[in-house]
Amino acid sequence: MSSGPYAALDPCVHCGFCLPACPTYLVTADEGHSPRGRIVLMRALERGEMSGHDAALVEYLDACLGCRGCEPVCPSGVGYGRGLEAAREQLLSQRGLSPLARSVLGVFRYRALWRSVFALARGLRATRLPSLLSGPGRMRFGMGMLAASAEMRERVEWSARQRGSGTAGHELGSRDDLAADQTRRPAAPPTVALFRGCVMDLLFSHVHAATRRTLEVNGYRVLDLPDQMCCGALHEHAGDRESARALASANVEALAGRADFVVVNSAGCGALLKDYGHLVGTPESSTLAASVRDVSELLAEKGPRPGAPLDIDVAYDAPCHLQHAQRVHEAPLAMLRAIPALRLQLLPGSDRCCGSAGIYSVLRPRMARKVLESKIADVEAASPRPDLVVTGNPGCIMQIGAGLRAAKLPVRVAHPVELLDLSYQNAGFYEVKGE
Amino acid sequence: MNSSLLAALSRIVGRQWVRHRRAELVTYAMDGLPTHESLPGVVVIPGSPEQVREIIRLLHVVRVPFVARGAGTGLSGGALADPDAVLIALTRLNRILRVDPLQRRAVVQPGVVNARLSEAVLPFGLHYVPDPSSQAACTVGGNVAENAGGPHCLKYGVTTNHIVALEVALPDGSSIRLGSLHGEPWGPDLVGLFVGSEGMFGIATEITVRLERIPQSVRTMLADFSTVRAASEAVSSIIAAGIVPAALEMMDRACVAAVEASIYAAGYPTDAAAVLLVELDGQSDAVEAETALVRDILTERGARAVRTASTPADRARLWQGRKKAFGAMGRIAPDLAVQDAVVPRSALPAIMDQIDGIRLEYGLTISNVFHAGDGNLHPNISFDRRDSAVIARVRSACRDIMAACVAVGGSITGEHGVGNDKLDYMPWIFDAETLGAMRAVRRAFDPTELANPGKVVPVHACREWTAVKSTRTPTLRSGHS
Ligand SMILES: Cc1cc2nc3c(=O)[nH]c(=O)nc-3n(C[C@H](O)[C@H](O)[C@H](O)COP(=O)(O)OP(=O)(O)OC[C@H]3O[C@@H](n4cnc5c(N)ncnc54)[C@H](O)[C@@H]3O)c2cc1C
Ligand code: SF4
Ligand code: SF4
Repeated sequence: MSSGPYAALDPCVHCGFCLPACPTYLVTADEGHSPRGRIVLMRALERGEMSGHDAALVEYLDACLGCRGCEPVCPSGVGYGRGLEAAREQLLSQRGLSPLARSVLGVFRYRALWRSVFALARGLRATRLPSLLSGPGRMRFGMGMLAASAEMRERVEWSARQRGSGTAGHELGSRDDLAADQTRRPAAPPTVALFRGCVMDLLFSHVHAATRRTLEVNGYRVLDLPDQMCCGALHEHAGDRESARALASANVEALAGRADFVVVNSAGCGALLKDYGHLVGTPESSTLAASVRDVSELLAEKGPRPGAPLDIDVAYDAPCHLQHAQRVHEAPLAMLRAIPALRLQLLPGSDRCCGSAGIYSVLRPRMARKVLESKIADVEAASPRPDLVVTGNPGCIMQIGAGLRAAKLPVRVAHPVELLDLSYQNAGFYEVKGE
Repeated sequence: MNSSLLAALSRIVGRQWVRHRRAELVTYAMDGLPTHESLPGVVVIPGSPEQVREIIRLLHVVRVPFVARGAGTGLSGGALADPDAVLIALTRLNRILRVDPLQRRAVVQPGVVNARLSEAVLPFGLHYVPDPSSQAACTVGGNVAENAGGPHCLKYGVTTNHIVALEVALPDGSSIRLGSLHGEPWGPDLVGLFVGSEGMFGIATEITVRLERIPQSVRTMLADFSTVRAASEAVSSIIAAGIVPAALEMMDRACVAAVEASIYAAGYPTDAAAVLLVELDGQSDAVEAETALVRDILTERGARAVRTASTPADRARLWQGRKKAFGAMGRIAPDLAVQDAVVPRSALPAIMDQIDGIRLEYGLTISNVFHAGDGNLHPNISFDRRDSAVIARVRSACRDIMAACVAVGGSITGEHGVGNDKLDYMPWIFDAETLGAMRAVRRAFDPTELANPGKVVPVHACREWTAVKSTRTPTLRSGHS
């Protein structure tokens, strides 16, 4: 029993209820790849009975996706995520990062670096080569991931047939294109600062644009604040708390006290931003953390306003960092249900991790692919087969998207807010008044 | 474990399915009862029944003992292996091989998770009845080995009533088939003998189960009482009236309080001394009639209120609290000593009073949750082992409770098995000759005693045991059911 950083593991009574919820256990059938087995190892690490240099221990703990699928099923309320955080920090201090992890994380510490990396990636994506080259092999899977990050409307043929007449015209996506219906706004609309992030800002700028537009339609005023950094989640998950804290502090500085809410459209970033109080430990960080919302939460709060019908089959896939870490279940569904005619499905395993898990899919591609396989199989077996899988996290969009491409399934992936945005566009909500 | 054995095992299953490094073994050192711990010599995770047989053949030749393991949710330390033994984890054998909806049979590998099986046959309007509270995690192979029960076993019978055939790898690596699609074709019920054998007779490599049609109509009732005795008497009255509910479960105040404080809060009245969950199922009109009758009996016996749930969602909520009760208790205190005993149903009210007396005598928190319909008790003591003074009291209370149950003609386990945890209680209820006979049966299957050695039947089953029984103290069990 402990009161230190591992205290959250104390209630574990070794009952095994978490086993069937763990994606890595499901693909390996090995206790060491289960939450219960990892808790035993973390406790041994805590008590000093095992060292951070023990190769087998490190393998098992590294192979954890950090998806926290084990938390909601645990009747004893074990805080697995907190325990893992402590273990990874301890491991890092004892053995350091792998060279690959170090270089990947290094990129995300500096804005100039990640901006140039993603700008290159965006340039490559624009050539349409990734889409052509996507496939099952490791390299082609990477291409598939990049292709999957593109805007939904560029990838989905049916989007044309969904479009109402006469609304297709004007240029969308630029920052000042916020001509939402002014008359719907209350006197003093709540202000929302958009968290830009790293990968979202460059590869998913279309999701940012959709976020802005849909929020404006629902009566929020969206602010764009400068000097933001990567959220630090990748560093935090790797146990590099120092970098995570530095990035978080910079974000607290950039965002604190500037708006009623901070809106995030990447579940992984949102989960960490909501935890900034714990990570940074200052009053401002706690206040800021309390104002963080996933985009679906803000929209669901307002209904959201229904748009034009979209006659499609859509499967919702819950990002782990939204449903388990942030405990947001209903909001994304409420948001999708506001789209008339849309047929929403929850496939079996829609609450199971896709294997993306931050940079996990880069560091441990074999396990990540195995975890992904069962999700792809579920999509393939679905009847009716969905036109689209929607999920609110960039890593999941790319991972599932690449998986579907590798399996040659004609199903694409998008962020749920992209769908609401399309529905609003078809409804004519974005037409500039008097036009 | 010596390296030549590791090499031989690796040749059978492939290197990545042999676990021998310390960190790997540590994760297999416990089952659902974390007070017992033992590092196995090596863990192998075979990928096919043939590999299971090959492993056992190899071990038979070199005379190395082995222990089977399913999901490791057992509550008697049954799936623990000593450093000189090989632990054979059956979790990769998780395929449902065939479902025959017409004959209502399914053929499964032993590592199939209980709840997955029911999910898989649901589209045919069928289910696999035995539903231990651990069903989301435990395996059908583990259920067979422990003859697992569950709330719905009152009406439909425990695991043994739902297994019609088995393929078994015997402790010498040979393979036999017991039973048939339609039950035992002739002679002694060998399937019945194997079910509940706790891994002593070999490893079940293929299991043919009986499936049942999902009942047309189901009603779940929740009744609350101001005394435990009144609730216990209501249980007896229902059975005496000739009604066989699908399930009849009781929880006392301490248990209700724990559940209601957890995420599985089911809306049980927290001021009641005891609540009863009664489930009736069958044809709609019969269920209606029985529901009315049971409601009358409950009211007559002093129920303060009777709530009836008929929608699947309401019923699921009432059940959720019961099924997660033990985990929920984990929130009260970090340790939980779970007892598993059976008493004749008629002795229920008296035994409940005695347990309450023991609780007061030792000043402990004891909560009771149990399958009241068949007299299977789980009195649980919540405690904190960091308080060293409390441990002696917990031990004494455990012993007294078990002794009280045995004294009224009860038994030392209802469904969790003997394993290594209850080895010491065996001489309490069986004399030396009976234990000797048990050992002889074991030897018929396993002459060299390689399968799950040292468990279930005390090895030194001799006359002196009966003499020392009064001085022996039962071991403390902790964990939950
Ligand atoms: C929270 C909780 C609630 C529970 N509720 C119930 C309940 O309501 N009713 C009940 O009866 N039990 C209950 N149990 C106990 C436990 O779940 C059952 O005993 C279950 O049958 C064990 O299955 P397992 O797969 O986990 O087996 P394990 O624990 O892995 O093994 C149990 C025993 O079976 C042997 N074994 C496993 N597989 C095979 C095989 N294929 N062939 C031969 N031997 C094998 C092992 O050697 C061991 O002796 C509960 C446990 C927990 C933790
Ligand atoms: S479900 Fe919770 S208490 Fe049970 S083994 Fe998993 S973490 Fe431990
Ligand atoms: S966080 Fe995910 S991968 Fe890790 S133990 Fe929990 S369920 Fe398994």
